[in-house]
Amino acid sequence: MHLYFLREAWRSFRHHPGLAWTAMISLTATLLLCGIFLLLTHNAQSAVRFIGDRREMVVYLRDEVTAEQRDALIARLTELYGTAAYVSREQAWEEFSQQVGDPQLLQAVDQNPLPASLRVRLRPELLNYPAMEQAAKQVSQFPEVEDVRYGGEWVRRLDELQATLARGSLVVGVAVALAILLVIYNTIRLTVMARRREVEIMIRLGASDRFIATPFALEALAQTLASALAALGLLFTLEQFAVQQVVHVTFLPPAWIATFLGGAALLAWAAAALALARTLRSAGP
Amino acid sequence: MITFEHVSRRYRDRLALDSVSWHMSEGECVVFAGPSGAGKTTLLRLITHEIAPTSGTVTVGTFRGARLPRAKRALLRRTLGIIYEDFRLLNDRTVFENVALAVRITGHFADTEVVPRTLYALEEAGLQQKQAAYPSELSAGEKQRAAIARAIVNRPAVVLADEPTGALEPASAKEIIALLRRIHDEGAALVMVTTRLDVAEALGGRILRLDDGRLAADAAPAPSPYAPRELGPGPPAAAPAPGA
Repeated sequence: MHLYFLREAWRSFRHHPGLAWTAMISLTATLLLCGIFLLLTHNAQSAVRFIGDRREMVVYLRDEVTAEQRDALIARLTELYGTAAYVSREQAWEEFSQQVGDPQLLQAVDQNPLPASLRVRLRPELLNYPAMEQAAKQVSQFPEVEDVRYGGEWVRRLDELQATLARGSLVVGVAVALAILLVIYNTIRLTVMARRREVEIMIRLGASDRFIATPFALEALAQTLASALAALGLLFTLEQFAVQQVVHVTFLPPAWIATFLGGAALLAWAAAALALARTLRSAGP
Repeated sequence: MITFEHVSRRYRDRLALDSVSWHMSEGECVVFAGPSGAGKTTLLRLITHEIAPTSGTVTVGTFRGARLPRAKRALLRRTLGIIYEDFRLLNDRTVFENVALAVRITGHFADTEVVPRTLYALEEAGLQQKQAAYPSELSAGEKQRAAIARAIVNRPAVVLADEPTGALEPASAKEIIALLRRIHDEGAALVMVTTRLDVAEALGGRILRLDDGRLAADAAPAPSPYAPRELGPGPPAAAPAPGA
């Protein structure tokens, strides 16, 4: 019986190739648009994650802090906020020297003016502006602490960028989902109308809705999956072109590809079910 | 098996059936004869639940009610074999595929069972040689045979025939009537509607006359076994109902 449904789906495709190809081209264009946005989102998220990983809080220590007090503070910070690493005045000067690079300029400075510090790599849940601001305020209350820096404005902008990307993904996702629903819905309606006589005869012979609907739904599913694969192929070509011409871009990871295909298939099935439930009711006696 | 109790059916301002009551038992043969517009096709459509009665009750087997839900209507139709005047074959499928479709629709049979059942029905209808042909390659008589094969392939308890000889020339009509008679002799109940009294008489069985939506007369039930008359080549006989 399953083979019969597949054969019927193929028969329908062969008998109305114009309708099927129009639907597939529309779906491929829609899914490609979705794919481009996913690719941008994925790469932007990767970049943000990379930068975000380096978001750390620098805690400058007072000169009079003893080694015991410093170790106690490290333990406390590690417990509350994340891994803390000590940077002595000498290490700080060494790093500064390497960054500046010009010996004449460095000789102009009489003595090392840099304070010792603790670099705190914050826990993932604290890598956002409000949490970091709160943490900085709390840490600055410790008596051993001279000052706390964490690049508040920069962190806030990074968070905004991430939020914008998430909102954009949602908007494009919803728009593409609606477009897929609309294309599949109308294609199935047109296909059923084109095969109205056949559907009507089946209804008169006592065919259940499931029996009539399954080949249509399978056809829609196959068209959507083929369109999704074509869109992925085009997207990969675009990505390769971008890599050669402009910047390094990474393609979608397997989990994203699986979600993309699965989502498209799910939408196709939902649209087919919706269209067939309405269309079959008006198709026959 | 089939019972109509004071069934009326109205299309806007026209009364197609007017308080019609009749009953048929298992294995019986009933022919409704009457002129065009008498309500014959309406009666068949009420049996298949394509339409609902305006008033009254239609009972077909265990299915009873004014308007059955969609799934039950499908179930009811799967228990019937229906033959149409215009054959209603699928033109993009072979004769075999048309007949096999009715088997698949029941959902009861595996692919391996579909083929022997279909071949048996084609053999019954005398179409085994044409199983690979498309409807467009068949004569009108052969098309009707294919439709009959499709109607009997699931061994229905009742076969409904809506003017099965209407589109056929006399020789083919004669063959189709003989085929229907054989199907009935093998045990299926048969309900046929026709405008031609000679066709009705040729099939044999109980003849009910419909005129202007009313059951005008119930011809005396033919003795069993039926003694069908020879089908003549005459024009359609739309006999007016006495007293109608």
